[in-house]
Order: sequence, then C-alpha cells, then structure tokens
Amino acid sequence: MEPAAPQFLDVQRLLERSLVRPRANFMPLILAAVVLVMLLVGQFAAEAVNLGSSVEMIVKLVLMFALVLGFSSLSYWTVRNFQTQQKLLQSIDELMQLRRWPEAAVTVEQLLSQPSRLPQIRVQGLVYLGGVLARYHRYQDTIDVYDHVLDHFQLDAGTDLGLRTARAMAMLQEDHLFDADRAISELRRHPAASGSAGLALVEIYRHVKTGHMQDAIDQFQLQRVAIRTQLGHRLGDAYALIARAHDVLLNSTEAQLAYTSATRLQSEDELQRRYAEVGKLAGRYQPAISPAEVA
Amino acid sequence: MISAEHAITRFRRDMAMGMAARALLLAGAVAGVFVSGMRVSNANTIGTIILTVVMVVWFLLSHRSARRSRQVADSTSLIAAGRFDEAEKEIEQVLTGFSLLKAVKLIGLHHLAMLRHAEKRYKDAAELCKTLLNQRLGAMANIARPTKLIMADALLETGDLQGAYAALSGLYAERLSLGEAMRLQVIQLDYMSRINAWEPMLASLATKVQLAEIMPAHASARAQALLALAARKAGRSDWEAWLRARAELLAESAQLCAERPVLAELWPLPETA
Repeated sequence: MEPAAPQFLDVQRLLERSLVRPRANFMPLILAAVVLVMLLVGQFAAEAVNLGSSVEMIVKLVLMFALVLGFSSLSYWTVRNFQTQQKLLQSIDELMQLRRWPEAAVTVEQLLSQPSRLPQIRVQGLVYLGGVLARYHRYQDTIDVYDHVLDHFQLDAGTDLGLRTARAMAMLQEDHLFDADRAISELRRHPAASGSAGLALVEIYRHVKTGHMQDAIDQFQLQRVAIRTQLGHRLGDAYALIARAHDVLLNSTEAQLAYTSATRLQSEDELQRRYAEVGKLAGRYQPAISPAEVA
Repeated sequence: MISAEHAITRFRRDMAMGMAARALLLAGAVAGVFVSGMRVSNANTIGTIILTVVMVVWFLLSHRSARRSRQVADSTSLIAAGRFDEAEKEIEQVLTGFSLLKAVKLIGLHHLAMLRHAEKRYKDAAELCKTLLNQRLGAMANIARPTKLIMADALLETGDLQGAYAALSGLYAERLSLGEAMRLQVIQLDYMSRINAWEPMLASLATKVQLAEIMPAHASARAQALLALAARKAGRSDWEAWLRARAELLAESAQLCAERPVLAELWPLPETA
C-alpha cells in the first residue's frame, strides 16, 4: 500500500521542519585557530631555516590568505543563506498583498520546509502561513499556527495584538463563538489595544454573527475613522458587515448606502468570499461598479 | 538630535578612518610577512606575533561591526512604529561608533535619512540622501533605490522639481520591490500633477488604481484623488467620480486639499454670500 501523499501546507510538518537549528558561537574557536596556526607556522619556519627565507614567506602568505579566504567564505555562505530566506519572506509578503494566493502558498511551503536561520524569520513565516490558511478557509489550522506562535515566542506588543486579533477572527469564522468571546475580552485588556482598528472589525463581526446588529452599527460609527486610517481599503469589510446589519434591521436605504461604499472599496466577490453573511446581500442590493468593469 | 550637517561630517570622517584602519591592518600583515623573512635573530617570532595581532584585531573589529549592523537594522521598525526618539538613539550609536565595515556607516546614514523624512524634515533628508548617493556603494548598491525615493519625495516637498525629476528618472529602469513601486507611484503622480502632465498620469490607469488599493490609507487616498483630478482634466467624468468617491471614503477631503491645494478643484468650497 502506498503511503498517503503529504497534505499541502501541512501545519504540523511545517512547524517541525522550520525549527531554528541551534548554532554554536564559532568566534572564540576561530580566534583560537588563527592564533594556533600562526604560532605553528612560526615554529615551522624557525625549524626549517635551511629552506630559505623566501620559502618561509610564501608558506606564511599562503596560510594567511587561506585563513582569510576560509573565514570570508564562511561569512558569505551564512549571509547568503540568511538573505535567501529574507527574500522568500519579502516575496510572500508581496504575493499576499497582490492576492496571488496559490503562489504565496507555494512560497510559504518552500520557506517553512527547511530550518529557519533566525527565530524572527520563522515567526514571520508562520504569521504568513496563518494568513494563507485563512484565505483557504482552513480556520482551525490558522488558529493552531497562531496559538503556536503566541505560546512559543516573545513578541512585541503590536505583533502580539495583530496575531491575537487574527486568531479571534478565525475563531468567529469557525463559529467558535465562546472562544472568540473570551479572546475578544482578553484583547480589550491588551496593552496595545487602544484604538485598534483590527479589534474594532472583529467586534463588529462578532456583533453581526450573534445578531446584535445595532451594536455593530454603533461600534462602526465610533471606530470608522480608526478603521479607515489603519486598514485603508479594508474599510470596505466593515461597510459590508454594516450593510448586513442594516439589512437585518430592515433599513434598506442605509443598507444600500453601506453596500455601495463597501463595493466601492472592495470587489463584491472578495467580500462575499470573506464573510458568508455578506453573501446574503448579493442580488438584493446594487454594488458600485468601477468604470473599468463597465468598459 | 544629530544635525544633518554634523552627521555628514562625522560620516565622512569615519569613512576615512575606516579606510585608514583597513589600510593599516593590511600594511601590518605585509610587514609581518616581510619581518619574518628577514635574516636576523628572532625575526620569525616577531613577524609571527605581528601577523597574529593583525589577524586577531581584524576578526574582532569585523565581529563588532557585524553586531552594529544588526543593531542599525532594528531602527527601521522603530521608525515605522513612529518611535522616533528610540530610532534616533540607535542610529546615533551606529553613526558615532567606529566600524571597520563601510556598509554599517552607509546603512546608518540611510536610516537617518529615513528618520528625518518620517519627521518631515525634508531638507535634512534630501541632504543626507545626496551625500549617500555620492558614495561608491559597491555591494550596498541595493540601498540606492530607497534612497532615491526618499530624496525625490523630500525634494518635491521642498519644491525642487528639477531635483525630484533627476532622482525619479534614475528609478524607471530599475527593478523595484512592490513597496518601492507603490512609493514611486505616489511620488510620480505628485510630480506630474505639479507639471500639469494630466494625460500621462492616466496611462495604465487600471494598474495604477490596483496598486493604490494596497497602499496605506492616506497614500492611497492621495494617489486616487490625484488620478481623479487628472481624469477631470482629461474629461473622463466616470473615472473622476469613481476615484473621488473612493478618496472621500479613505480620507478627509479637507486634509487632502490642505496638503495638496491643487486638489481643491475636486472639492470646491461652497461660495459664501
């Protein structure tokens, strides 16, 4: 019986393979080697006086250059490996921004299938992995990845908040409403949470999910500027959720206005793909159409 | 706070000192080899000691420089987070400390230019970029592109259109990262609006709009407002209305007009009686 083909973006496998390989500090060893080699050469030259001074000079020169070359090659190799992983990270970031998800997924797989050179590279790679998994609606895997990062790494406050927010969003998407509620309560007490647009968006989504439509609308009115400033075109997500809230409350005029704003900033397809609730508005409200689509 | 003038003077002095130190170490190594080859008593031992000392000093200084290079790398995230005071301290340490590697000083100066640009001290930022671009960058050639972008924007802000054009023109033939392409587009639209090149602004409009969609909110609003103005000038009212509405959703029109008065044509003030 043939073994089953490995799953694409297998979280457990990538978590294991991307572990940073511990590296020894070679600096004292290299220094000791330099001193030792130079002393041995001196000793050798002193004993081999009969070889003549020119031979001594040549031996010393060759050894000196071999040492310099060896050390430089080691540094070059280390730096090149590090740069390759840095380039992969940059490439994933660009692919995700451009929404070229299949290529982003392949590159994340490539990056995390080998030991990371630095813990920071691994953390960033895992954050991207979570983002790609969420794009493919693999929300439980997304939660697992973010849990791993939050449990194993000391992050700065901003990154920590961003990850916890993304994890709460994945919990909502996966309908883990109890967990999401607890996660949001913790987020509110987070030191970097004040004025966070990500948190505001998660809270709006939670309200829409749990049927507290007026709360969603109030929250949006309170946080609209922060969401706009921090999330740019993703403000369209909030407008789409508010359109749904107005729709449930039978405010069709307000729902239409919000839906127009949402689809002016984001494509209708993308919004429906992100939020199942927004899909219920399709065909009932008129989206804004760009001149490019009209043409 | 380090003034641009002081930073540039210090940078030049340290570059010269770094070069002198490298030359001295090389001369020491050569001297060690020659001494050990001389036919006098203890020449071998003395030569070996000289060589050993040179090599150890070289390794230690290189190691210290590499650590400084990692330290200066942190300042980018501090600048991005708006923690300018902390970034200033990191950069100052790198710029005032000795480094055997030229690259460390170059990156330090580049980050100082980034910091001054973020602080809206455009004249200082432009001066620092100019000094940096006048150096032979060698293996550090990859910092030339972001430096040119900072310089072009800083010069535009100070009203030096010719200087901005010179900085921009060097970038068109280069392969840019996505972030650099986004920054270039905003600066390019700004520059073109100042020379009334409305039609060229609309070239590859759909691509420009797509790129604007992934920019940070304010840059995106400004880019789309400038494109809306170009569409208005070119009589493409459908695009004008679409882009203006998007810019309105992303930023306050009054703020956009205050920063770029040319945009007031999109949002005329109501006439007072």
